[in-house]
Amino acid sequence: MDNSFLYSKKILLVDDEPDLLKMAADILKDAGFETVLTAPGAKEAAKTAKQEKPDLIILDVMLPDGDGFSLMKQLCTFTDVPVIFLTAKDEAADKLAGLGLGADDYISKPFMPQELLLRIYAILRRAYKEDSPQVNLDGCTIDFSRAEVRKGGRVIPLTAKEYTLLETLARNEGRIVTVDALCEALWGDNPFGYENSLNAHVRRIREKIEANPSKPVSLITIKGLGYKLRTRK
Amino acid sequence: MKSFGTYISKHLASFAVFLLLLVLGNVILFGVTFYHTVSEDYGEASPRAMLKTTSSAADAEGIADDAARKLRRYKIWAMYLSPAGECYWTLDVPEEIPRKYNIQDVALFAKGYLKDYPVFVWNMDEGLLVLGYPKDSYMKLTGNYYSIEAIRKLPFYGAGMLVMDALCLFLAYYVSKRRIIQNTGPLAEAIETLADGKPASLHIDGELAEIADSVNKASLLLGRQNEARANWISGVSHDIRTPLSMIMGYAGRIAADETASETVREQARIVERQGVKIKELVQDLNLVSQLEYEMQPLHREPIRLSRLLRSYAAELLNSGISDAYTIEIDIEPEAENALLDGDARLILRAIGNLVQNSIRHNPQGCSIRLSLKNTGETLILTVADDGAGLTPEKLRGLKEKPHYMESADERLDLRHGLGLLLVRRIAQAHQGTFCIESEPGKGCKSKIIFGKNSSVQE
Repeated sequence: MDNSFLYSKKILLVDDEPDLLKMAADILKDAGFETVLTAPGAKEAAKTAKQEKPDLIILDVMLPDGDGFSLMKQLCTFTDVPVIFLTAKDEAADKLAGLGLGADDYISKPFMPQELLLRIYAILRRAYKEDSPQVNLDGCTIDFSRAEVRKGGRVIPLTAKEYTLLETLARNEGRIVTVDALCEALWGDNPFGYENSLNAHVRRIREKIEANPSKPVSLITIKGLGYKLRTRK
Repeated sequence: MKSFGTYISKHLASFAVFLLLLVLGNVILFGVTFYHTVSEDYGEASPRAMLKTTSSAADAEGIADDAARKLRRYKIWAMYLSPAGECYWTLDVPEEIPRKYNIQDVALFAKGYLKDYPVFVWNMDEGLLVLGYPKDSYMKLTGNYYSIEAIRKLPFYGAGMLVMDALCLFLAYYVSKRRIIQNTGPLAEAIETLADGKPASLHIDGELAEIADSVNKASLLLGRQNEARANWISGVSHDIRTPLSMIMGYAGRIAADETASETVREQARIVERQGVKIKELVQDLNLVSQLEYEMQPLHREPIRLSRLLRSYAAELLNSGISDAYTIEIDIEPEAENALLDGDARLILRAIGNLVQNSIRHNPQGCSIRLSLKNTGETLILTVADDGAGLTPEKLRGLKEKPHYMESADERLDLRHGLGLLLVRRIAQAHQGTFCIESEPGKGCKSKIIFGKNSSVQE
């Protein structure tokens, strides 16, 4: 999936270390993000969040004038913007506290620039779906807004389960999605014993999107793990 | 009651010997104490000897001089009574002693005292020889008769009493020893716990309360030191993280900067890789220290290991691992739904460390196989590669040498990473075991075995 539509999103970085703030901002700007705001403390972060209405906030847990968790609670009172915690702690208790408050992700320092970007893309894509989501595959196009596949001159409708399955794979385009994650997306929290049904759905999807369903090139099986959707730019 | 049996068998013999020695000691002490008196009682001044010598040296006419001298030497007076109660003669008889006796008088004094003088009599042909010893020199038993039955019972009573006493003594000894063990047992246990470096807490009343307090204090101190050490490690690793973020971040930027020269970019990539190593080390160090000092409670929950393995493998492949490495996954159908009561984050870390080890030791690439087996008794998680493997020496070193985190020996090789130590700690925290097999050229195989009884549920 193309990330370009994400670059117009405003990102607010909050960290008390100016060097780190600058570096993270540079990484994001280099990657293509047009508006990167920064704040060195909780007060300024709250002020900026109110004025600028960012689309994603990346918060340090430890701030000179308060901790990230209480700041997050404060932010929740006026916005439902996604939040990623960035912290030098990696204790499980902190992780749970952060995610329990409704944080979308949690990144431990030190992090690789690529890791930070991938997490940001994933959160943004989950939070802000593309306006007219179309995915081009080898030989066909999936139109998610109409829940159909266009192949040659034909239009093939997708069932609800097929739609969810394809959408989950498309969101993680080029990445392996495990059978567990797919079953969970399709059947909810306790998806044990649905592997056969999943196989059946995959088979039917392949009949709709692949030129040769027995030799798939778009919806690829990763043996023992799950599936991967390969798109065409 | 097993301890009772061993206790008896162990101590009964020595206790019997001890009792024998005690009786022997009593006899010796008795002999030493009464030797003098006894020798006197049966010596020449004793009533029996004196009566004998005097009677042979006396008759109704009088007493031989040397016998009289001998009596005087011991301050003994004497008289010779006729059958009618008259004195034939007297020798030094005190004033208060009568000179004439009737039959009742004789019957009374013959058995005991005459005006408080212990007297002894000797039957002679012509009459009765009476010797009077000084007052308070002898005690005479005036009522000296016992029923024959009582006398017959006496030996049995004595023997029975001895046995009873021995038993009572043994019982008292046993009970007191038991009580001491009961009181000191928790102390010994607590000290053993302390020796293992774990906290101990004791509640004992009475005389041992003071020692218990000392043990509690030592435990508290040890706990504080451990906590301080863990906090120190956690603090240092925390403070390293932010600067390390910067190092890795900028190294990553330079490595990705297409305007920079290839040499500079390659150098930046090296910095980045070393940064990753420091990051792993810092994370492992913190975790090991927290597991070591039990600072971090496990967040236990039922985990489907099959799912955890798949999500780890997918994550690894998605993170853009080099094509030189292939990841295979092999989960037995029996293991598919097996649940482990454990901390998912820690187990993921253990798997990660093992896979990273395979990658690090095989820079030319290798195939890594993650498998899960359910034997019914145990769940076996295996990470195997087909890489270079370890020489037998290296493998032995890995297995036998204590890690520097666990030893104060300064000669130890400090070049081992923390990765495997952490894996073993994590396995132990889940009541599991960790083992590693390898042969040169045949790759390396690491297994974490979780026991069914402790942590696996279906």
